[in-house]
Amino acid sequence: MNSNNRDQALIERCQRGDRKALEELVGHYQKPVFNAAYRILGNPDDAADATQVVFMKAFEHLGQYDPKYKFFSWIYRIAVNEAINQLKRGRNQQPLDDTEVAGTRGPDASVEAGDLSREIQEGLMQLTEDYRTVVVLRHFSECSYRQISDILQIPEKTVKSRLYSARQIMKDTLQARGVH
Amino acid sequence: MVDERTLDLINADIDGELKPEESQELDAILEASADARAMRSELLRLSNLLDNQPAVNPPADLAQHILQQIKLPETAGSFSLSGLFSSFQPATAGLAFAAGLLATVSFYELTPDNSPGFDTAGMVGTMVANPENRGADVADSLSFSEPGVAGTVSLQTGKDVFALEFNLESTETVEIEVAFAEAGLGFGGIAHAVIDNEAADESYEISGGTLRVVNQGRQSFTVFLLNASRNDGGSREINIEVSSAGARVTAGVLRG
Repeated sequence: MNSNNRDQALIERCQRGDRKALEELVGHYQKPVFNAAYRILGNPDDAADATQVVFMKAFEHLGQYDPKYKFFSWIYRIAVNEAINQLKRGRNQQPLDDTEVAGTRGPDASVEAGDLSREIQEGLMQLTEDYRTVVVLRHFSECSYRQISDILQIPEKTVKSRLYSARQIMKDTLQARGVH
Repeated sequence: MVDERTLDLINADIDGELKPEESQELDAILEASADARAMRSELLRLSNLLDNQPAVNPPADLAQHILQQIKLPETAGSFSLSGLFSSFQPATAGLAFAAGLLATVSFYELTPDNSPGFDTAGMVGTMVANPENRGADVADSLSFSEPGVAGTVSLQTGKDVFALEFNLESTETVEIEVAFAEAGLGFGGIAHAVIDNEAADESYEISGGTLRVVNQGRQSFTVFLLNASRNDGGSREINIEVSSAGARVTAGVLRG
């Protein structure tokens, strides 16, 4: 059974009130949803809050789910929207320390391996939400152009445009920080 | 300087989304342009850096929090024990006991079904016994004490649900049959309080309106039976037969 058929079967069981099916679905998707939210929000606590809201909304509106679309795309769409809504509500607007903004670290400065993830996350946070979202879906959620297009409900052409521009910006940002 | 078209091809190549004809086009560009090769190298390095970032583990209790907050729809023919117990009205002394049961079984969403071979494996849970309230609001009870096996079965009755509480101690495997279909009752579920969890053998099977329990050791469990025709005002008779080592220990009728 492929993942889409598996999800459909689990959803049907959930709609019949089967909590075991709910546990399976949450088990399958809580980590990827959390990670996508974390990469967009840049904060694990906010990502955990967003993940809870995502599942609440998904199951609250399970009746509106159209089985001709993949559950994967549906829950990621809710996740991305929720993360961006959280950002817009200003919950995550934490000003970066002056020493950490792009370009203040010399290109020759080495970055400890343990700091690499933080540097990358900070590089992501330098991107606009639109750009960050496509980078997250492509590189952290391993979505294809088509899947990103489905999730964000934008043309593939727009996905490519945003992704390519975002990479260019990230490359320059990380190079300026001595990471890349 | 790398032009827009070359950048598009490089990015699509990195993402594995290049068409065959585009692949040939890119190969030709890369062969001819050192700038294009350098750009491809840099973008590929960035892509690998991002792809190789480890996934972050969510908080350990996140799934539990999510599950606690989600309520699934209840379909026709299904019911919740918690819902039933909200209208379970035992006498004063039994309230705490009922509340204790409610707290422990409220997460079960059970489906009444008297069909043969109904699997009760997912309908057995654990509860905390409340000895202070044991025996409260008992409509009827049955006690037995034979070599190797002793125990009591007490029946508590409510408007919607009957609770049969079993307290058993045995050195041999005990088989219990509870026949409830003729009383107009349906199987609701089992909450299992393990007092001394040394049971070597334990199973629950329901078939044709009869629950068959096999266990051993010192145990307490409660069988919930649904009073589907509660408005007819008549009493209910539940037949119980207890056997051990192939011999009948006791048989009786509990009325409520």
